[in-house]
Amino acid sequence: MTRLTPEQLQARNKRNLAIAGALVVFIVLVFGVTVLNLKRNLDARAEAIAEGRPVGYAG
Amino acid sequence: MTETAPQPAISMAQPEDFFQLLKPRVMSLVIFTAVTGLVVAGGDIDWISAAIAILCIAVGAGAAGALNMALEGETDALMRRTRGRPVAAGRVNKNDAMTFGVILSIFSVMLLGMTTNWLAGGLLLLTIVYYAAFYTLLLKRRTPQNIVIGGAAGALPPVIGWAAATGQAPWQAWLLFLIIFLWTPPHSWALALYSAGDYARAGIPMMPVARGAKSTRLQILIYTLVFVPVAIAPGLTGMGGLLYLAVSVLGGFGFLFLAIRLFRSRAGDQPDKAEAVGREAALYDVRAEAKPARNLFAFSILYLMALFAALLVESVAAIPGL
Repeated sequence: MTRLTPEQLQARNKRNLAIAGALVVFIVLVFGVTVLNLKRNLDARAEAIAEGRPVGYAG
Repeated sequence: MTETAPQPAISMAQPEDFFQLLKPRVMSLVIFTAVTGLVVAGGDIDWISAAIAILCIAVGAGAAGALNMALEGETDALMRRTRGRPVAAGRVNKNDAMTFGVILSIFSVMLLGMTTNWLAGGLLLLTIVYYAAFYTLLLKRRTPQNIVIGGAAGALPPVIGWAAATGQAPWQAWLLFLIIFLWTPPHSWALALYSAGDYARAGIPMMPVARGAKSTRLQILIYTLVFVPVAIAPGLTGMGGLLYLAVSVLGGFGFLFLAIRLFRSRAGDQPDKAEAVGREAALYDVRAEAKPARNLFAFSILYLMALFAALLVESVAAIPGL
């Protein structure tokens, strides 16, 4: 098994932290986009009901 | 062909190296033109979706840059302008750069499609494939028209921004595309005139290498004569206002003046002194004969930024409530 030097360990830890940060940002973005899309569809549904139009799936 | 610098068995790459793979300088221009397209389009996109769309376009463009660096590592190592790039310098493994580029491409396209619409997502995918596969693998080494055809990838961001905002890509969006598309040859060839030695060493048939400096100077002038009226066009079609018209006309005359001066100069006739000794020279550090080329290169960046800034300012000023 290869034993890493302190420099290699430090570089790997920094990369791991960067990947973790990027994944958290990505998850937050996907969650935010999902909530936005749900809100848009709910608004469209409410508008359709208010105008007496048939309610269907958006898109 | 020269290999890239030897790479340690265990990666010492830092997060900053991966950030450099995204070509942050190119990315900043992509962000700027995409924001302009998005704002000028004037759709009813909310600001959160707009911000995510711009992030996706920036990351997608960065992914294309990472794929380009992964594929071009050996060539980059031969040129002084690019030999410090992470793959060329051996700081990042080629396969790691490729994986990084592919993953970011998938994530950015998917997220843009989910957030806005699939026209924008499809155009971003087209941009990445066009740049990484069509330009880098096919065009770059085969024809001196490489950057003319390949320039389409760099010209697409405002169209993607427009599509993200409205779900459509009307002629106004393609006019912005055309401005960047026609701007690319004089801009890139001006740089190539004083970097020809680099390109020749790397075996890339840039125009000064393939057809000579005199022909390149003439083609720069011809492209400028076509580009400047197109750059002024938004001011005459109602897309831009008085500010845009003033900036485009005044800057256009400046561009034309510098292109004529370059045409009458001897820029590129002799290899640059900095190249002869092979030192790391800055982009703007050139010998006296090459200064007209350097001046046009620098001014071209300024002019493009000014054109899009004028459009952006006018569009923002026209937003109700601002």
